[in-house]
Amino acid sequence: MTVFADLGSTWSKVVDTSVKIIKTKEVPLDIIADFACGHNAEKRSKRSVNELIALCEGGLRLIGEKNFLLVDVGSRDTKYVVYEDGKFVQTGWNQECGASQGFAVELLEMYYGVDCNELETPEHGYPVTCGLIGISRIFDEIIKTGDEKKAVARFIKGIAMNVYHFTGRPGRMYLSGGLCENRLFMESLPCEVIPLGRLVLIEGLREIWKRDNGQEES
Amino acid sequence: MKVGFVGYPPDEIMREYCSEELIDLDNDLGRVEEKDDLYLPKITCSVIKRIFNNALALRPQKIIFDVGEGKCDSGRFLSWLLREYFHMDVVETRNQNRRGRGTVICDSELPLRRKFELILDGIVAPKDYKLGMELHPKAGLWSVPCWDARILDLFPDGTRVFGWTRCFENGTPDDLDLECHVEKDVPTVFYAQTFCSKNILAKNLARVYRGLYVDCDGRLTASVKAQIEAFLYLRGAMK
Repeated sequence: MTVFADLGSTWSKVVDTSVKIIKTKEVPLDIIADFACGHNAEKRSKRSVNELIALCEGGLRLIGEKNFLLVDVGSRDTKYVVYEDGKFVQTGWNQECGASQGFAVELLEMYYGVDCNELETPEHGYPVTCGLIGISRIFDEIIKTGDEKKAVARFIKGIAMNVYHFTGRPGRMYLSGGLCENRLFMESLPCEVIPLGRLVLIEGLREIWKRDNGQEES
Repeated sequence: MKVGFVGYPPDEIMREYCSEELIDLDNDLGRVEEKDDLYLPKITCSVIKRIFNNALALRPQKIIFDVGEGKCDSGRFLSWLLREYFHMDVVETRNQNRRGRGTVICDSELPLRRKFELILDGIVAPKDYKLGMELHPKAGLWSVPCWDARILDLFPDGTRVFGWTRCFENGTPDDLDLECHVEKDVPTVFYAQTFCSKNILAKNLARVYRGLYVDCDGRLTASVKAQIEAFLYLRGAMK
């Protein structure tokens, strides 16, 4: 049995006989994947694959179009790939400010006890150039208005706008990663968003594995 | 006498000092004490910081500082800082040479790191090289000499060199037309140091020529490395 894993900074997706989505800190130490990508892949797998390549392959497998922009928003970074006429043309990877990515959203939800899926989408967000500055804006707004939910929602709108600008202000994007399950984030993106879920990179790993081995995975 | 130089001063000036110990202050000269945080803003490019730290640590008796359009405003202001507040003997030059001597090294089959070594060495000890030309380069790198030379090891042998480094080999450091010359069918990485104004060129040339634009502040980061590796792989330049 081939074990595939996307071993991210805070969440890991491990696929063997079943699909497991677990906190990276809780991945059993004896699990060594056959084929993996992610920040922890080198030390936890027999073969690690460049995440952008896995993202491309996953996109090609899941998206039945020749032209697409696929964005993966992780807990600490955002990366994207662009295909035109079925050919790879562009990529970008921003991991300079992890404070403004998925992990910050999780922390905010936990601390303020809010569920982003229940929040209203604000018209405007904060300019979250840096996650830490963005978070200090949340504190400022809560001091001023006492409205925690609105402050969190505006922060998330700011993150979404960062992703939108980083990817070149597209008309449409395919979205990969845990934020596919966050309605507020998706509605905060001012373009058409097609969520592909959390297993796009795993799908990419499977494609590479099949090609390299000339067979279906067992 | 220890004579430092910055950028690409005119050849005739360099020849005047050819019998002295010439030190390229833009380059990695080993570990030196870093004082840039005391005098330079954080948003200063890492090459300018390196020049400053090298100058203070090595204290050359003279610095030939090219402050023309072949360098940058940050360089010009750094020259002023070293002269006015650190009392260094700075000779300012503006290299406007337009007599190109060719780009044999940039276009050769050599490994990329070796190309950069020969090009940078050429300013102190110019040589005529007879090198085989890479007729079908798998990749291109548009950049200035990178702060972290490990980036060069990511590329296949024979990678064509564009950008200011090409101008450098040609002996025409402020030739903007040559600096913007790219071959459209060669998958090219456009690399600039973070906070360098050359990012404007890099981003737009990458957009026009469908290349990969990356910027990096000093050390090569995992994300920049992964982007370059993925780009070269997906565009067929590397297996």
